[in-house]
Amino acid sequence: MDPTSRITLRPFKLTDVDDFLKYAGDETATRHMRWNPITSREEALTHLETVAIPHPWRRSIGLLDDDEDRSIGYISIFPGSGDDRSRANVGYILAAEYWGQGIVTAALRIAVSTVFADLPEVVRLQALVEVEHRASQRVLEKAGFLREGLLRKYGYCKGEIRDLFIYSLLSTDQRRI
Amino acid sequence: MDPELKIENLPQITLRPLGVADVDDFMVWAMDARVARFCTWEPYTSREDGLNYIQNTVVPHPWFKAICLNGRPIGAISVTENSGGDACRGELGYVLASEYWGKGITTTAVKMAVKAVFEERGEKLERVEALVDVDNVGSQRVLEKAGFCREGLLRRYVVLKGRTRDMVMFSLLSTDVGIL
Repeated sequence: MDPTSRITLRPFKLTDVDDFLKYAGDETATRHMRWNPITSREEALTHLETVAIPHPWRRSIGLLDDDEDRSIGYISIFPGSGDDRSRANVGYILAAEYWGQGIVTAALRIAVSTVFADLPEVVRLQALVEVEHRASQRVLEKAGFLREGLLRKYGYCKGEIRDLFIYSLLSTDQRRI
Repeated sequence: MDPELKIENLPQITLRPLGVADVDDFMVWAMDARVARFCTWEPYTSREDGLNYIQNTVVPHPWFKAICLNGRPIGAISVTENSGGDACRGELGYVLASEYWGKGITTTAVKMAVKAVFEERGEKLERVEALVDVDNVGSQRVLEKAGFCREGLLRRYVVLKGRTRDMVMFSLLSTDVGIL
């Protein structure tokens, strides 16, 4: 079955805290994120309240066939401001037990189909991916992103300086839905 | 200016801080539409605006120098300073009065600037990058001659004077120039 038909995207709620903690506290799931695992329910609640819920565009990934619509990950799209308002940074995370089923690709395709209308100043989505992180590169490529280049020693992630591929998708690009 | 002037015959190009006393030299390039074409700003029209820019942006800037010919500013060059996980990179910017274009002066200033900023920031800075408008071929040549690596074309990356522009990303690593 096409994974796209199994996915829902919705804003976060405070009641997502326990499901959120399952992947946000997991070293495997958070390995390529710039932030350290969230280890307490209190920290998770604070994060939902101050970051996830007021965020300009963050959507919890849920499975349609799950009556409770539990959060199993999220897609995050953060626009720039001022002269940088034409572009937005894309990030995502998925609970490790759901890896390898095309879920993030499906969620990203749904996100791409609505985000340009939601954020009208944004004409460019971009994502920075570590050179070693092949799975994430495949997600972007399958969602129609173009690899533009390699940014050498671009930034630190978890204490190590990284070479990062930069990918982009424009509002004018052909998109696979 | 003598049109026969070539870089080999020019007295030394130097970099030094730019201050309010330099405002009249600053206005020469700041009022020039050719210079402002790919910059975020429109050509300056008042000396007051020039003074404000020097006082409020240049003086407090972490790294901003005048490009001098015979000790007189004919342009400017700067490198940003980031914090946290982004401190490893700085963004380079430069302007030069149009009368001095095409003589290799900016390339020289860029080489001097990157050497200085890598030495000053030590291991903290590993990458100097520059974003150049896809149509600004002259500036792309400056960076290529200065040894920068062209990493890719970033499509519709930034808004410049109301229009989104494609920008070319260039970088120079401390290891490229054998500093560290």
